[in-house]
Amino acid sequence: MYALLGNSLLTLSYIFTIYGLIIVGLHLWNRYERFLRSGKVAFISSSLLIIISSVVLIHELMVSNFDIEYVAKYTSAETPAMFKFSGLWAGMEGSLLFWLTILSVYFVFVIIQNRNQHRKLIPWVLITMGIIQFFFLTMSNFFENPFAPVTAGMVVSGRGLNPLLQHWAMLLHPPMLYLGFIGFSVPFAFAMAAIITKNLDAVWIQTTRRWTLMTWTFLSIAIIMGGKWAYMELGWGGYWAWDPVENASLLPWLTGTAYLHSVLIQDKKNMLRLWNMILIMLTFTLTIFGTYLTRSGVVSSVHAFAATDLGIWFFGFIIVIIAVNIFLLILRKDQLKSDNRLESFVSRESGFLFNNMLFVAMMLTVLWGTMYPIFSEAVSGDKITVGSPYFNRIMIPLGLLLLALTGIGPLLAWRKTSPRSLKRNFLWPVVTGLLAAAIFGVVFKIRIVYPLLSAALIMFVLATIVMEFYRGIKARRRITGENYFKALLSMVDKNRTRYGGYVVHIAIIMMFAGFTGKAFDKEADLSMMPGEVQTLRNYEIVYQDYWFETPETNPGKRSNHVAKVIALDVNRDGRHYSDMKPEKRFYTDQNNQPHSDVALITTLNEDFYVVLGDVDLDTGRATLKVRINPMVTWVWLGTLVLLFGTLISINVEAFFKKKTR
Amino acid sequence: MSFQKKFAIVIGLFALLVVGWISLEFESGEVPFISVGDLIDNHSRYTQSRFRMGGNVDEGSISFSEDKLTVSFVLRQGDDRLPVTYTSAEIPDLFKDEAEVIVEGKYREGVFQADNLMTKCASRYEEEANYKPITEG
Repeated sequence: MYALLGNSLLTLSYIFTIYGLIIVGLHLWNRYERFLRSGKVAFISSSLLIIISSVVLIHELMVSNFDIEYVAKYTSAETPAMFKFSGLWAGMEGSLLFWLTILSVYFVFVIIQNRNQHRKLIPWVLITMGIIQFFFLTMSNFFENPFAPVTAGMVVSGRGLNPLLQHWAMLLHPPMLYLGFIGFSVPFAFAMAAIITKNLDAVWIQTTRRWTLMTWTFLSIAIIMGGKWAYMELGWGGYWAWDPVENASLLPWLTGTAYLHSVLIQDKKNMLRLWNMILIMLTFTLTIFGTYLTRSGVVSSVHAFAATDLGIWFFGFIIVIIAVNIFLLILRKDQLKSDNRLESFVSRESGFLFNNMLFVAMMLTVLWGTMYPIFSEAVSGDKITVGSPYFNRIMIPLGLLLLALTGIGPLLAWRKTSPRSLKRNFLWPVVTGLLAAAIFGVVFKIRIVYPLLSAALIMFVLATIVMEFYRGIKARRRITGENYFKALLSMVDKNRTRYGGYVVHIAIIMMFAGFTGKAFDKEADLSMMPGEVQTLRNYEIVYQDYWFETPETNPGKRSNHVAKVIALDVNRDGRHYSDMKPEKRFYTDQNNQPHSDVALITTLNEDFYVVLGDVDLDTGRATLKVRINPMVTWVWLGTLVLLFGTLISINVEAFFKKKTR
Repeated sequence: MSFQKKFAIVIGLFALLVVGWISLEFESGEVPFISVGDLIDNHSRYTQSRFRMGGNVDEGSISFSEDKLTVSFVLRQGDDRLPVTYTSAEIPDLFKDEAEVIVEGKYREGVFQADNLMTKCASRYEEEANYKPITEG
């Protein structure tokens, strides 16, 4: 019944989308205003139908209607309610519907937001987004139908959700990632409209500025949250492994970040029209590519969905996007020439360009490393993987260069920077950076090049930002006589892009501090008997006890699994520090699939991280992996600061003020 | 020469540098993915010392050292078999008889010493259908 409803909704929305595409196309031909209106209604209708159909699927997941294959495949009667909900994006079919749903929400938003503006651009925006919607609807209707009936006869209880996915970060990471990925379709649609209608000034960029920032923020948070999940759930003690699917989310982030910077030049100087166009096309293509990579089975990864024949369609779609983009770029190459030219290496413009080059170089590095196993297999028959060392050896120095630019770029003047201003702006930050390196090298006896360099650059960048804020506040006080706090607020309010950007830069250096801590990780594999004591660095681990828990002994916590638990007493520097209870769980609704539950003590300085390998319930012998991870928390804290910074830039209040006026 | 051209040259040089560097890193970074038979017969012909291999865990071949930190098993690929050892407190959760695994490490005197052991990814567990049907459909 509900399956039929969901199916009908999807089919109906498919019809509406096709109608919308045809009618808007006709409008472009005959310019009848009512055709455009009809098209808008059609797209809003199809979008609403999609949203309703995903509500239907959520409902079916929540009530555990195992007559639907998808529900039976990804949830069981015992799955906790919130993870029944997240079942929506746990599998291929649901996640495609979820993709569509978010696209639809954006689509409706774009239509309403622009109902009275950008009359020339809007038809092409509708067509671009309509085609994307059409493609995904085709997938959902014909290939990966989330409402397909179950094939294995009557099912009492479904298969349950993969225990790895039963974690709070998995409630947030996929929606965030999708919001980030799909959000880029909006600036992309405007870019397409701009290039097709030859409106190639900065209007399309200004219109989509908030979208781009918001999307970028979602994507940034999603990537970090995915790292947080990997850190807590996968139990190898890190948050980034250069896994193909992680890379897939990083690729559009890299070009998207480049775009975020380079549009500032088009906005201010009307330069780089061609380049910005290329960057947004690239970014959008990479989001589709990322979606493809996780669904096609071409790369094997912990996060990938099972291999399907969907790949070929996605691949075709990507080829079409690339071909259309290249065609348009060639067709409009004369209109894409810029009015202004570069004048000096030491200018803001050049700073942004170097920043862009680094981001693109990083993107190519990651793309090459990710795709190489596939190329090598095609060429030589050997599947050669490259692994983390390759990525780290290239990405770390490129990242440090970028970090240096984070400090240098914003302090350069437009057009050309005078030697005097160079000295004025850089003397103290450089001294601060060198001092930091000296302190780390001499006092903390750190003799590894990259961490030293990283520490120096972090302090250098921090000094430039502090100086910028200080000078801005001082100048403002001189003019207005406001107190420090008021001067700060009004200064930020006057130039939100700039100061919000600085706050994001602070977030980035916090994360770099976290990345740098990785160089000082400590890890040990321990085998212990009850009562035994072992030490790692300044930690002392006392193995106290072990036991077994079942749904009967602990029904509140363990509705769908049994667990072996051990109790550890941890002392630090000779004093009692904390009790830890790492677990090994076996999910009863999942063929007793085992899963390790990490125990963790986290501080600003370092994390103490324990994974229970196994414990023999007869003898009590336990195997443990113990890690000390310095500075990890700074990566998570940086994310919060990043959110704060982009909220300043997006200027949320003004957005709502405009709405209510 | 105009500044535009100078800038283009700098960008070109930078691009060349990065490309050259990436290819250099590749030479040293690559780990060949080879078959078990190839490793046994030809390992001395490879210039690299690290290898990656895939296969299945031979039925009943898993055994642990006394401290439970080292696992030994026989990797089977087609008709080829190779003893493997792996030392870690953390054996992947899906590691068991007949599991499909990928190992990475060095080959020493007839034994493959793995420092990385991966089971075929966890979210791809669709093959292991474990519905609980009351009637077979």
